[in-house]
Amino acid sequence: MKIRQAGSRVVAGIAVPLLLLGAWSLTAREGWLPDQILPAPGVVMATLKEFIASGELQDATLISLERVAKGFAVGAVAGLIFGAAIGLSPRLNRLFGPTFLGLAQVPLLAWMPVMILLVGIDEALKVILIGIATFIPVVLNVAQGFRDVPPALREVGAVLLFDPWSMLMQIVLPAAVPSVFTGLREGLANAWQTVIAVELFASSEGLGYLMSWGRQLFQLDLVLAVVVVLAVIGFALNWGLARIEGRLGRWQLRPA
Amino acid sequence: MKRFSPLLVPLGALAIWEAVSRLSRVSHELLPPPEKVAFRLWDGFAHGGMTGDLAASLLRELSGFVIGATGGVALGLLLGLSRPANRLLGPLFLGYRQVALFAWVPLLSMWFGGGEQGKVAFIALAAMAPAAVNTWRGTSTLPHSYIELSRVLMFRPLDYVRFVALPGALPAILTGLRSSLIAAWLATVGAELFLDVAPGLGGRMNEGRETFQMDLVLASVVLLGLLGLTFSRLAVAAEKSLLKRRAA
Amino acid sequence: MPALDITGVDRTFHVAGKPVPALRDISLSVHEGEFVAIVGASGCGKSTLLRLILGLDRPDRGEVRIDGQPVRGPGLDRGIVFQEHRLLPWLTAETNVAAALRRSGLDSAQRRQRVAEYLDLVGLTAFAKAWPAQLSGGMAQRVAIARALVNRPRFLLLDEPLGALDALTRLRLQAELARIVRHGGTTALLVTHDVDEAVFLADRLVVMQPHPGRISDVLTVDPAARRDRSSAAFLRVRDKVLGMLGVETEGARAAAYETAA
Repeated sequence: MKIRQAGSRVVAGIAVPLLLLGAWSLTAREGWLPDQILPAPGVVMATLKEFIASGELQDATLISLERVAKGFAVGAVAGLIFGAAIGLSPRLNRLFGPTFLGLAQVPLLAWMPVMILLVGIDEALKVILIGIATFIPVVLNVAQGFRDVPPALREVGAVLLFDPWSMLMQIVLPAAVPSVFTGLREGLANAWQTVIAVELFASSEGLGYLMSWGRQLFQLDLVLAVVVVLAVIGFALNWGLARIEGRLGRWQLRPA
Repeated sequence: MKRFSPLLVPLGALAIWEAVSRLSRVSHELLPPPEKVAFRLWDGFAHGGMTGDLAASLLRELSGFVIGATGGVALGLLLGLSRPANRLLGPLFLGYRQVALFAWVPLLSMWFGGGEQGKVAFIALAAMAPAAVNTWRGTSTLPHSYIELSRVLMFRPLDYVRFVALPGALPAILTGLRSSLIAAWLATVGAELFLDVAPGLGGRMNEGRETFQMDLVLASVVLLGLLGLTFSRLAVAAEKSLLKRRAA
Repeated sequence: MPALDITGVDRTFHVAGKPVPALRDISLSVHEGEFVAIVGASGCGKSTLLRLILGLDRPDRGEVRIDGQPVRGPGLDRGIVFQEHRLLPWLTAETNVAAALRRSGLDSAQRRQRVAEYLDLVGLTAFAKAWPAQLSGGMAQRVAIARALVNRPRFLLLDEPLGALDALTRLRLQAELARIVRHGGTTALLVTHDVDEAVFLADRLVVMQPHPGRISDVLTVDPAARRDRSSAAFLRVRDKVLGMLGVETEGARAAAYETAA
């Protein structure tokens, strides 16, 4: 019965995409839309295969992922430190919090022209922008996580005579872990969005660049092929993070 | 004294900025002093056509937001309230969300031939996802007790939507609209920068960059920041007033 | 000298600009090994009093002394069980109990032995490695009791410890609590609004009234009466206390009539 349920779920889920795929195929075959607007699915697959065979797709993917990794690492570490600082110390929060929030109102990409004038358009630009994109959600979530430690549990620490270090390590930090993870997850999602956006317009390598190149040559099949790749990578990133979160948050299990 | 401490850091930063700009040998083109930026901002509105840019950007954003948010809320309601729709469209929507937003820019600009509709379409896309996600979550996580209550009171489906689902999901929907507005704004700025749109604030920033006028670029950044702040405040205020009569 | 001596204690809170007298002129002496229950309706200050004894708060006037020394802060001589179990969700049952031993000066072998001993005392040896989220309310509260006792404190403070549990579990745990406290000879202070529970467990009953929080009566409970919940003696004490708290029962009216006569 459960297998049937799961099976029917899967069927329902892929029904509409398959339908759309069919409609797409039909449209292309009948020539209702010019090839420039909508190349046939088969062409897109062929292009995808071609770029995998030549290794260009893998190279581009690795470059993009590498940028994300660098920018994310920088932004996440900085964000953890800054977020913890303003989350733990009301005074630091009063001093730096409002300024941070104000600067966070500026749309991320608006920093691009400023950064381009300051550091040019090579790697530093991307890492900085991705770093900022990661920094903001990490700080917001981490700060909140540290601030929202249940006072009831803090009292337990006081009653058990925990010194400040034990209080931090045994109570505050574990309580803040879920928020830290939410922040890292959002930061990674932001980082990924940013790398694609920046590569679209200020880069000569990476997945974003491939799309931009495809667009300039009016090769929609390449653009669509990269879209497919992006979807796959997006899924993989989400799945991976969920797994890590699951292992670390074992104690959050609901009773059977 | 405590009340003013938030101002310490910005004022301090401004002071340092002023000092560095005046005392170091960094060119004024690369690091204009604060008053030059402020002047450029004022001048932009007085003579430089920034009002036109602002209006164009806002119009684009609001059109995209209205279209996208409406579509998003509708989609969210569908996914949250209708089990078959959820089964059929849910996975597709989740799959769509995996693709980085800006990846749609090349596609849309080709399909719309680089015209205004292309940009608005992109902004609408950006606005749709947060609205849909939050509405979906709001309608699908209603307490089970509400659903049982409507059964006991013999509600018809339409009654349920009107008296239970919509009011119950309202806080989530409003949160979604707030995120949607911010997303639309980010998309507008991004699209304008990338597609070098004029009139528009993005195009103006690009102009500043291309002609190495850092004061213009920074003035635009300040303006964008202020706008972002205004949007956030407005959205939060609207949300509060709409939910005012609810108990905690 | 009484083990715990509270003299002339006042404590006022300020809520929304208005002063709220939580405790006014509280005086109480508790002797070693006694089981004292503090009963009263909500708002009579009984939890505040417990926090003063615990050292989480300081009185505005008067003093709380243990062995003649004023209480300045929490200490391992006083263990507490709160109404919510307040187990750290990211530690197992045994590591939660062990957390209380960090300042005890015992080495790890001794700690492990103590933890096992007290988990056994509360009957949860089989669940030593369970996470709090996997335990029922009653079980989690038992772990909290083990945690409060593992340091062999002189005083065990209980702030409505069974209030969050269902009625059946509550009755069962009351019997457990009586056994556990007698076993260790600990001096216990129980705050509760359940009069039956207070009469069942305590040697002495302190009745508090709200607005301002003050002690209105102190009664001694005859151990014979305590033994059987359904005995006339038990019910007489219970009804008397209920009457003091403003709850009229047939028995209360009769008891009042008796004392008047």
